[in-house]
Amino acid sequence: MNAEKDSRQAPDQAVDPEGVDWLPVSDKLITVRLISGAVWMVVVVGVLSVPLVLRSTGVWAGYPGWLAWSVPGVVLLWFLIGLAITPRQVRAIGYAERHEDLLVKQGILFRRLLVVPYGRMQYVDVQAGPLDRAFGLCKVELHTASSSVTATIPGVPEEEGARLREQLSARGEARLAGL
Amino acid sequence: MSHQDPDAVVPPDEDAVVPPGRSAREGAPENAAEDPPGASADPALTDAADEWHRVHPISPLVRGWIALVAIVYFFGQSWAENLFSDLTGIGGDEPEESGTWNPAELAATQEGLLWVVGISLGVLLLILLGFFLSWRFTKYQVTEGHVNVRSGILFRQQRQARIDRVQAIDIGQPLVARITGLGELKFEVADGGSTAMKLSYLKLAEAKRLRHRILARAGGLRAAQSGTARPAESPSGTGAGGAPPAGADDVAPAGTLPDPGTSVAGTTGAAPVLTDADLEAPENVLVRVPPGRLVLSLLVSPWLWFVFAALAGGIVGEVLTEGAFRTVYLVPGLFGILPWLWTEFSNGFNFRAGVSPDGLRMSYGLLDTHHQTVPPGRVQAVQVTQGVIWKLFGWHKVTVNVAGYGEATGGSAARSTVLPVGTRQDVLNVLAIILPNPGTDRPLELIDAGIAGRGTGEGFTTSPRTARLLSPFAWSRQGYTVTRTAVFARSGFLVRSLFMVPHERTQGIRLTQGPLERWRGVADVSLVTTDGPVHPAITQAGAAEARRFFLEQAERAAEARHLHDHDHWLDDDPYGAPQRGPVAEGER
Repeated sequence: MNAEKDSRQAPDQAVDPEGVDWLPVSDKLITVRLISGAVWMVVVVGVLSVPLVLRSTGVWAGYPGWLAWSVPGVVLLWFLIGLAITPRQVRAIGYAERHEDLLVKQGILFRRLLVVPYGRMQYVDVQAGPLDRAFGLCKVELHTASSSVTATIPGVPEEEGARLREQLSARGEARLAGL
Repeated sequence: MSHQDPDAVVPPDEDAVVPPGRSAREGAPENAAEDPPGASADPALTDAADEWHRVHPISPLVRGWIALVAIVYFFGQSWAENLFSDLTGIGGDEPEESGTWNPAELAATQEGLLWVVGISLGVLLLILLGFFLSWRFTKYQVTEGHVNVRSGILFRQQRQARIDRVQAIDIGQPLVARITGLGELKFEVADGGSTAMKLSYLKLAEAKRLRHRILARAGGLRAAQSGTARPAESPSGTGAGGAPPAGADDVAPAGTLPDPGTSVAGTTGAAPVLTDADLEAPENVLVRVPPGRLVLSLLVSPWLWFVFAALAGGIVGEVLTEGAFRTVYLVPGLFGILPWLWTEFSNGFNFRAGVSPDGLRMSYGLLDTHHQTVPPGRVQAVQVTQGVIWKLFGWHKVTVNVAGYGEATGGSAARSTVLPVGTRQDVLNVLAIILPNPGTDRPLELIDAGIAGRGTGEGFTTSPRTARLLSPFAWSRQGYTVTRTAVFARSGFLVRSLFMVPHERTQGIRLTQGPLERWRGVADVSLVTTDGPVHPAITQAGAAEARRFFLEQAERAAEARHLHDHDHWLDDDPYGAPQRGPVAEGER
C-alpha cells in the first residue's frame, strides 16, 4: 500500500483503525522540533568538524582527508533528512479520546499505535521545556503500572494540555480498577 | 514480640506507643523471642492501633553475619600475623614459648597486640550495638486495612501499605536464617519491582501466621463474615493432578480457584471463614520438579551446548594452529556459566507449586529456600516456553508477570518462574491455578494448540502467507486467539512460546508496523501488562486483523474491567460463568 503518500493527512489504512476522530498536535511543534534539531545539528556537526578544522589549519595534517570530510558530512546529511521529515512526523502524531481509552499514534516509517484504558492510568504528567513554553506547548504523558506503556502526546497547546490533564484524571478516577 | 514492649531507647519522634521504660540492654531480646504475636489469641486477626510487634532479635545478626565474620577474620588474621611474626621474627622476646604461647602474657608484654585486640573488640561492640538498635527500632503491625512498618535509627521511616493492594507475599529463608529457623516476609504491592515491605526476620511459624493474617484480610474475609455471599470454590475438571473435586456443585458461581487443588478441607461449604486455627492454610501440592529432571534440563540447555561447542572449537583451533592457540585460554570465560548454572539449579531445586485458598503457592531452593504466595487474579500474564531441545523431552517452562515482582533479572527471576521445567501435565496443573478459567470449552485442546500447534486449529488466527518472507518457519505458527476471558498468543519456531493475558489485565495495547511489515501487509501487536519477564505479543498478524483485534481487544478489556474488581478476591467472581478448568481428564 502506498503509505508514504496518504500518511500526510488521511489515516493510513495499514495501522489506523476506522471510525476514530484523530486530534492532531499543534503545528508549532514543527517549529519547536526544527529549532531544537537545528541546534543539535550545529553542536554535533561542529564537534565532529574539529578534526577537519585542525587538518585544514595544518595542526593535524596527518589526519586522513576522506575521514575528516565524510564523518561530519554523513552526520550532517542525517540531520538534514531528519529535519526534512520533521513536518510529516509531527503531522503523523495524533490522539483520540474515546469513551474508555486514549489512543495515540505516531511514526511514518515505523508506525505505532497505542491504546491505554483510562482505568489503567496511574498518573498524568504535563511537562514543558523552555522551548515548548516559548511556543505555548506542553507534553502530556499518561503513565500506567507498566513502565513500557506510557502514552506520550507531545506538542499540545497549554490550554489543551490542562484540559487533557483534567479530563484524563477525571476519567481515570471514574473508571479506576485494581491492577 | 507481641506486646507493647516497654523496652525502648526512646527516640525523639517516638510517639506514645512505647512508654519509656527500662533502658536498653543486651538481654532484652530474650523476652521478645519467646511468644508469637497476639494473633493466635485474636480472632479478628488484626492489631490494635497501638499494638506493635518486633522482628526476631537475632535478625540483625542473620542479616549482618557476613560483616561480622569479615571483621573477626580481618582482625583475627592481623592478630595472628602479629603473633606469628613476633614469635618467630626479629626481636621476639620469648622465642622459647612459641610452642605454648599464652595470649594474656603476650598481650601484657606487647602493646601493639593489645591495641589490635582492643580495637577489634570495640568495633565488634559498635556493630553489635548497631544491630541492637536497628532491631529496637523496627516494628510492625497489621491493622484492619493496613500493614505498618517502622524502621530506621537516625532516619526514621514509617511505611503503610494497604492490605487490599497486596500483590504477593513471599517468605524467604537464606541459609543462615534457615539454620536459625527464621524467615523473611516480603509484602509486594504494584510499585514496579521494589519490595514494599520486608520483615526480616521472623520465626518461620510466625511469618506464616502473619502471611495468613494479611492474606485473610486481603481476601475479603471480613466481607464474608459480615454476610456477603461468598462463592465457594467450585470444582472443575475431574482432578487429574489432585484430589477429587469438592462436593460443592450446587454453589452457583465459580470460585476463583475452580480446579482440583481447591478441594482442600475447610475451604468449601457455607462458612469459609478462615480462623487462626487453620493457619497452615491447606495447601495442595500439584506440581513437583524432581531433581533428576532439573539437572538433565540444565545439562541440555543451549548455554551448555555453547560451552561444549566453544571447547570443541578451541581444541580444533589448537590442532590447526599447532599449539599457538591453547584451549586453556577459553576456560576462564567459560567459567562464567557456572554461576548461572548454580543459580538455576539452586532455585529450581525441590520446586513445588500448589494451591491454597490464598492462591498459588510455590516453594523452592537448595540452600536458600523461598515460599511464595500469589493471590488469585494477581497474575497479569503467563508465558509457556519450550526450547528446541526441551521439545524432545516434552518439557516446558512457565513464567508469569506479577505486579509486585517487577522486571526479574538474575537470581530474582526465580520469583516469576512458576514452573522451572515441567511436563505437559505439570503445565496444565499450574495453568489451572493461575488461569483457572481459560474461557473456552476446549481448554486442553486450546493449550496444546498454543504450545505446539500450527495453523488455524482451535480458532487461532495465524500470520498470512505474505509473512512467509519475514518468518519462513514460524509464519504458520505465530498467531492468536481470543477466548471469553483471555487472549492466547503463540509464536516461535525453535523456541516456542505461548502467551496468555486475561482481558482485564491489559494495561495497554500497542500496534506497530515497520517498513518491512508494511511491505508484507502485516503488523505486530503487543499486549502490555505490568513489568515482568513476560512480554506478550502477537507477531506479524495480518494488518487488517491486527487493527480489528486492536480495537476489539480494547473494548473487551474495558468490559472485563467493569465486571471484575480483584482487590477482594473472595468477594466476587472474577471469571463469570463457571467454566471447566484446563486440567485434563487424566494424561494423554
